Parts: sequence; C-alpha cells; structure tokens
Amino acid sequence: MKTPKKNWLEWSIFAISLVVVLGTVGVLFYEFFTLGEQPADPQMELGPPQAHTGYYAVPVTVRNRGNETAQNVHLAVTLQLSGEESERADFILDYLPRFAKREAWVTFLHDPAKGKLEPRVLGYEKP
Amino acid sequence: MSSSSGPTVVQSLREYSRGVAGGLMFSLPLLYTMEVWQTGFLAGPLRLLIFCGATFVLLLGYNHHAGLHDDSGWAEVVIDSVEEMGIGLIVAVAVLFLIGRISTELNFSEVIGKIAVEAMTVAIGTSVGTAQLGLEADAQKSKSKKQDEVHIGSQLVIAACGATLFAANIAPTEEVVVIATSSSILQLFIFMFCSLLLAALILYYIDFSGSQQFVRHNGFASIVAGTLASYAIALSIAAAVLWLFGRFDHVGLLTVVAETVVLGLVTTMGASAGRLLVQ
Repeated sequence: MKTPKKNWLEWSIFAISLVVVLGTVGVLFYEFFTLGEQPADPQMELGPPQAHTGYYAVPVTVRNRGNETAQNVHLAVTLQLSGEESERADFILDYLPRFAKREAWVTFLHDPAKGKLEPRVLGYEKP
Repeated sequence: MSSSSGPTVVQSLREYSRGVAGGLMFSLPLLYTMEVWQTGFLAGPLRLLIFCGATFVLLLGYNHHAGLHDDSGWAEVVIDSVEEMGIGLIVAVAVLFLIGRISTELNFSEVIGKIAVEAMTVAIGTSVGTAQLGLEADAQKSKSKKQDEVHIGSQLVIAACGATLFAANIAPTEEVVVIATSSSILQLFIFMFCSLLLAALILYYIDFSGSQQFVRHNGFASIVAGTLASYAIALSIAAAVLWLFGRFDHVGLLTVVAETVVLGLVTTMGASAGRLLVQ
C-alpha cells in the first residue's frame, strides 16, 4: 500500500483525530463491559438550611447510583415539627442519568432547625 | 488534491476549515436539540458504539465514492474518515461546551454520550463539506465524474449519506411519534405514495441539479427500479436512525412501521435530492 503524501498539519490532525476517536470508542467499550443491570437508584442528600427572606431554603443533592436513567423523578422533603405538625416540599427532575448528580432546593416556611428533615424519593419512571 | 507534491499547509488548513463549516452547517440544528442531548444518556454504550461504527462505514463509503482523492487507495480513505470523525468529536465538544450542555460538573458517562451522539452527524457534515464546499471540489467534480462512471454501489452509499443527514434533524423529535401514532393506515399509504412520487420526480423528471449527470435513465423499468431503490434506502435509514434515538423502545410493531413511513418521506428527500447535492 502506498503511503499518502501529507504535510505536517495533515499528519497532526490525523494523529489528534485517531487519539480522540480511539479514546471515545475505548470509553464506550469500557462502559459497555463494566455497566451492570442495576436499575435506577436515586438517593438524596440534604445540605445545611439557609434563612431567606420569608422562608428557609434547604439544598438537596440527588445522585443516581443505578446503571439506568430515571425519568420524571419526583422527590419530597418533609419537615417534621414538634407534635403532629409537618410541612412538605417537593420537586421533579426531568431526567436523572446513570451516576449523575443534580442539585435542587426545597423551601419551608418554618425553620428546619426546629424540626427534623426527612428526604424521600416518591417515584420515577423508566424512560 | 492529486498533485504529486501533496497539498501545502495553507491548502490543508482551508480544507479542514471547510470541513468544520460543513459539519456545523449540517449539525447545528441537532446540537441545539434537547432530545439529542437526552439520547446521549438514554441510548447506552452498545447503541452508541453501533452508531459510531455505522457512521464510520458511511464515511468510508462516502469518501471512497465522492471524496476528492480519486487516485488514492483505501489508506487515504481510512485516514480521511478518521480525521472527519475526530473533527466531528472536537467540534461537538466545542459547541456543547459553548451552549452549556457539558461541563466538568456532570458525570463523565453522560458527557461522553452527548458528545458521541452529536459528533457523528458533525462528522458526516464535515465529510460532505470538505468534498462539496470548495472551489477545487467543483472543478474536480466536473472533470473526474462522467456519466458513464455512474456506479450503482456508490449511488446507494451516497443516497444513504443524504438520507442520514436529512433524517438526523427530524428523527430525534417527538413530532415523528405524534404524527405516526395519529395517522390512519390510509394516511400512511398516502405517505408512501408521496415519497415514491417525490423520489421519481426529483431523480427523473424535474431536471434537478446533477440528475442528468448521476442518474441513469433508460426506459420505464429503470425509473421504477431507481425509485424503489431510493425508497428502500430511505426506509432503512429512517428505521436505523429512529432506533438509535430510542423511538422504537416500548412500542408495538405497527407504530414502528408507522414511524418509519412517516420519517421515510424525509429520508426520501435526502436519498434523492440530498444525494444529488452531496455527490
């Protein structure tokens, strides 16, 4: 096979392209062989509450520890105050890809410091 | 470029820039489409690998049949195809980063999926752009491609490229599913009739640019055969692209067929008009 005549620019572009293409294909192959069958598994983590004007905001980090994407992930946080009283805040994530992390906020009228916060994943769809 | 000394650096730079321009021209609608980003993390590694492989085969075919390097062997075709995929990936990364769809915050698996899906159309656009958008391309095209060189294999490959470029812009959208599920069987037959009619008119009747040069025309039988071949390519590409974008997941056979026929009208345009334009 004859070697095509190329200048240094063409050889460099080819070299960079080869690395980029093999890298991408390599990562996809790695994922293909390592990815398990574990269904979507959204997990919530709460950050420290912050006082805003008129309400309190609590940062929520949601991670999907499963190997599948979850769609329409419905999440809620309940603030359990003293006695029977409680306040609930919720939100929906369109998509939570596998291993992905998303950040959100929930807000409460009462000070979360005066009660107990309980995060809960209400439900999600398989896309 | 077939001069014995090879192209100069300036010429090569121009050619690559044309490739990038072509890649952007054909793929910007996709880079700006939400469903395509979502396909990046919904499709899964196997589907993405198949997509990359199929794109590479299309690039090899296109570069072999329509590329500028007429005198070159397969080594040149392979090198060109790798370069186009590489440029596709780099352009996809740049644009996705610019529009804020990838960042270091996101999981690597999600990022690589988005890049892989977007890059493949950019790569095909780059290939077409490199071959079509230059002055040398025009000059060389009229010199090197004569009517008696029309080869059925290359025409099918180029038709597939044209169909893919057209399909990729529409297949990811929800609208295909909406139209498919709300169409009656009669409407679907009309879709098919219109597609066949369009293909026949563009290839054989309305004197579309390039049709004289690249379409063999001897008698009614060859018109029927050519039209059917174009439509067959169009339907196959429509089905393949719909599958990639997950439009066949969890639906019945009738919906699969309906979606393919609905998108088939679009891919027919690509396989006939697109094919004549990207020669």
